[in-house]
Amino acid sequence: MTNSMNNTIERLKSIIRNLKVEEIDEREVKIEIKPEMVLNALSLLKGSGYSHLSIITAVDWIEENKFELVYILFSWNDGGKFIVSTKIDRKKAKFVTVKHLWPIARYYERELHEFFGISFEGNDDMRPLFLENWDDLPPLRKDFDPMEYSKKKFPDREYHKDVIHEAKVIRGDLNG
Amino acid sequence: MGEVKLFFGPNHPGMHGNFSVHMYVEGDTVERARPLPGFLHRGFEKLMERRLWYQNLALIPRICVPEPDINEVCYAMAIEKIAKIDVPERAQWIRMIILELARIASHMMSFPGIGGPLGLYTSSFWGVADRDRILDIFESLTGARIYHMFIVPGGVRKDLTPKIQDLIVKTLDYIEGRLPDYEDLIFKNRIVHTRLKGIALLDRETALELGVTGVGLRATGVPYDIRKVDPYLFYDKVDFEIPTATDGDAYSRVYLKYLEIYQSIKIIRQCLEKMPEGKVNVPLSEGSALRYKVPKGQAYVHIESTRGEYGYFMVSDGGEKPYRVAVRGASYPQTFIGVEKYLPGTRIEDVPIWLSTMDVCAPEVDR
Amino acid sequence: MKNKTMPDKDFFSPIKAWKFLFKKPVTIKVPYVKREAAERYRGFHINDWNECIGCGTCAKICPTDAIKMVEVDDLPQEYGQKPQRPVIDYGRCSFCAMCVDICTTGSLKMTREYVHISPEPEDFIFAPTEKGIHGIEEVPVGWVRDEASELLELERVEMEMLDGEERVQSFIEYVKGYSKEQAIHEAARCVECALCTDRCPQHMQIPEYIKAIWKDDLNDALKWLLKGDETNNMLGANPFSAVCGRVCTHKCEEACSIGNRGEAIAIRWLKRYIVDNVSDYKKIIEIKPAKKDKKIAIIGSGPAGLSAAYFLSTMGYDVEVFESLSKPGGVMRYGIPSYRLPDEALDKDIAFIQALGVKIHVGISVGKDISLESLKEKYDAVFISTGFSLGRSTKVPGTDHEDVLQALPLLREIRDYLRGEGPKPKIPKSLVVIGGGNVAMDVARSIARLQKVEYGQVDVKVTSLERTFDEMPADMEEIEEGSEEGIEFYPGWGPVRIIIDEEKIKGVELKKCVEVFDENGRFNPKFDEIQKLYLDADMVVEAIGQAPDYSYLPEDLKEQLEFVRGRLVTNEYRQTNIEWLFAGGDIVNGPDIIHGVADGYWAARGIDEYLSKGVK
Repeated sequence: MTNSMNNTIERLKSIIRNLKVEEIDEREVKIEIKPEMVLNALSLLKGSGYSHLSIITAVDWIEENKFELVYILFSWNDGGKFIVSTKIDRKKAKFVTVKHLWPIARYYERELHEFFGISFEGNDDMRPLFLENWDDLPPLRKDFDPMEYSKKKFPDREYHKDVIHEAKVIRGDLNG
Repeated sequence: MGEVKLFFGPNHPGMHGNFSVHMYVEGDTVERARPLPGFLHRGFEKLMERRLWYQNLALIPRICVPEPDINEVCYAMAIEKIAKIDVPERAQWIRMIILELARIASHMMSFPGIGGPLGLYTSSFWGVADRDRILDIFESLTGARIYHMFIVPGGVRKDLTPKIQDLIVKTLDYIEGRLPDYEDLIFKNRIVHTRLKGIALLDRETALELGVTGVGLRATGVPYDIRKVDPYLFYDKVDFEIPTATDGDAYSRVYLKYLEIYQSIKIIRQCLEKMPEGKVNVPLSEGSALRYKVPKGQAYVHIESTRGEYGYFMVSDGGEKPYRVAVRGASYPQTFIGVEKYLPGTRIEDVPIWLSTMDVCAPEVDR
Repeated sequence: MKNKTMPDKDFFSPIKAWKFLFKKPVTIKVPYVKREAAERYRGFHINDWNECIGCGTCAKICPTDAIKMVEVDDLPQEYGQKPQRPVIDYGRCSFCAMCVDICTTGSLKMTREYVHISPEPEDFIFAPTEKGIHGIEEVPVGWVRDEASELLELERVEMEMLDGEERVQSFIEYVKGYSKEQAIHEAARCVECALCTDRCPQHMQIPEYIKAIWKDDLNDALKWLLKGDETNNMLGANPFSAVCGRVCTHKCEEACSIGNRGEAIAIRWLKRYIVDNVSDYKKIIEIKPAKKDKKIAIIGSGPAGLSAAYFLSTMGYDVEVFESLSKPGGVMRYGIPSYRLPDEALDKDIAFIQALGVKIHVGISVGKDISLESLKEKYDAVFISTGFSLGRSTKVPGTDHEDVLQALPLLREIRDYLRGEGPKPKIPKSLVVIGGGNVAMDVARSIARLQKVEYGQVDVKVTSLERTFDEMPADMEEIEEGSEEGIEFYPGWGPVRIIIDEEKIKGVELKKCVEVFDENGRFNPKFDEIQKLYLDADMVVEAIGQAPDYSYLPEDLKEQLEFVRGRLVTNEYRQTNIEWLFAGGDIVNGPDIIHGVADGYWAARGIDEYLSKGVK
């Protein structure tokens, strides 16, 4: 871990009790925090140089009945990365927006709403972004089965050629 | 005159890939703009969850056409980070060669990118023809021209032979010799100066606030390049520079790409020199490829692509397939907030230039 | 470079591009100019049909589902092969060459062709051949698998064993068995082609239980072993998994597709890993069939008899087994030495069979203590599996000496002694074993151990007609391990006489054998009478084969039955010409345990069918 990352973690610990820190490699740390502390932690990290938001994404832990929200922050000063993770209830998939911290969050959140069905308080623009006329479960949820969906939506096409006969002709076993 | 709604795309000669912008114009000037992605959404992230670790190799390069290798490297490096695999040194050097070749090929494609909107078709033809020579290298090294499917978790699939090395050396010499022609044709061209200078301005604060990376950010004067700031592979063992500019306009962004080609050539030459002999891969895990497993874990890997920070966030539950992979498309910020907030004020004829030099890339945004 | 200033505009510079005006274009005129792709190019497929075994691994790795295996009727139906070949849909293929890299035989390759054009959608599916998909004589070969791109793991996880010097000192089982990590590693090598299932006489569900090991679900793995395919009459179940996991002749491993380029999966050791690492079977496996009001008698408690008992009791029948010796197990108990198959392993299997309600009566010899006719009266059907219990003799002069022994009685004596249930057998200072099969090896290696304990040194010589180790019917590993334990081999000699001096055996006189089988492949040895060999010994054991003992069959029944070369003829359900009498094991098929298990399985189904018809 870089010095700056160590210092930042110390400062995080001062505002968050029982901070779970996992060092992934020397410039990458994952911290798990309770949902209500996420905004504070993100603001603190942004103020400590980890101001570049790489991505906001989510993981569907269907067996735990949780969505894990993941914010990845990066510092151009020392190359350190913080993976800030929090788990929210899958049934009441609701969180708060961070668009006031990073304007692009508005779109990441809109994407998460579209693909996971998570809504973000304070971000009203939840129109579909990538999918058109979508009529099924949010597709990145684990209970959505794309195979079933495509079988339902798209016809199958079958070949009618006798490939083995043709192969035998090519091999010279049979005369075409 | 009232406001007119104008559709840009989804097919447009100044735009690679399918991407649409709804523009509300008054006169020649864009008043409001709305990005409309989704035409290239193929559900890669979902598809990856349903394929074996090794099988995904055939899928991921398709996220980005001009520079498919960044996907392979990110995917491989993320797995290696989770599984703590020590990749043989030679493989790392070969990966760097491939990445830099891909960077050259992709930058070459940026000449058609501005050739189209400007009507300077010679630069388009040259760019495509010279890029093809890089594709020839890829063909002999990896066995395929566009989607190489060559960088695998644990290393690369085959070794670099002396014959291919010769081809690389010769091609690099050729391209280096060709670059001044591009400078003459494009960068000293009065029309290009008139059309690109001062256009599509982006200042440093905005770029940083939006999260714009790559040449878009470096054209505002900061030398932010992940290869230097958060080095991966052996980028900390080679000598190269990060070209920067201060104008923050379309011209400087394209010119930085041009300068980066020189740097890439320099890096590849060092790689060829420093590369040790040895194995080029280790198996991802025990057993056959049908039963490769990656231990439980999460990792985020990002690299400097031609368009900026390209990243993979990967989650493994210890099984034979990825549990979740999220892809950070490099041009995500400018494609959305950029188009919505900073395209307004641009004249209609400058819109393709804006989109092209801002590196709006639909396939990586849509995924 | 960093501070390189941006170029100024220059009116004339762009005009320099005119210098290319009269140069040749860089493009080529397709199709007039032909360009061959690079040496590694991944074009279309080539598949050598003679090398391909139809294992379907290519179809499994294919990330785009482009490969389907299609049956080809007129391909040879051989073990280790499936009569099917890959068919590739080029509408789906992504040209990644994973199929080439994982091909178990190396029959798949890719070409250096760029182009395939057709206006017909039907023209994009092919079964690639030696001549590719376009029928070109010398197709230019592009991407091939090499050591770096290999996607299989060819080397087996090594099994730890005691070394020869150590293991010869006792009868302790010397194969240590896989640890969990080793077993999961070995299981990960499997590609689930199921060629092994076809080869196994009992068609055990091998890929399924290997997969269960890989997933570390041993309860599921045990289910596959003991219940087989539950949707298909328990096909592939094997109540003697602990036994077969140690001493099976593992024909499956000969068929393993990985064996084409590497070492076959250690299927036998994986099976052993499952049974060794689960507790009592009955805590895991639940078998509660509806009781049927029918009783079956089984004569002989060897592999076939007890397997039949197992399968019949899973169907709900009342089964009673009659065994003449004092413990059940037959050849598994009294034939195979305990350093290969310890009693505990056998007891574990038999305990589960007994837990299902099978009654085993030991010490009752049918034909002496109880007659077959009386069994017929009391039971609805009878299954006989009495095995080959009589030894064969070379009948050369001197074989009637008391120190010329038969293999099976000697092995039985040794096992009884080791179990503490019998007297110590006579341990020779120097032994000659006549015979080249596994029984001969068992005798040699058992006596070697006894010698080591008694005298501190091994002096055992094995001689056989077969002239090479390959020709000898014994497993190669038996010969190798025997050598490590100090046994000497003299292949290619036939006995002339036993040398006896003053009533004591001094040795064996042998003559050179020049040919064992004639041109028709029949056993018909030819000798060179001049070349002689003398081996010292104070004991000789004959292990040249065994014979059945049918003395318990009454004459009137014997007349109705049909025998071919000492073996009983049955239909596929192991039913003899007498409809209530079923038979299996060595007296019907032989030659090993797993064939006996298969006999027991099919006989159980046959008996079930016979009794369901409402006869009697």
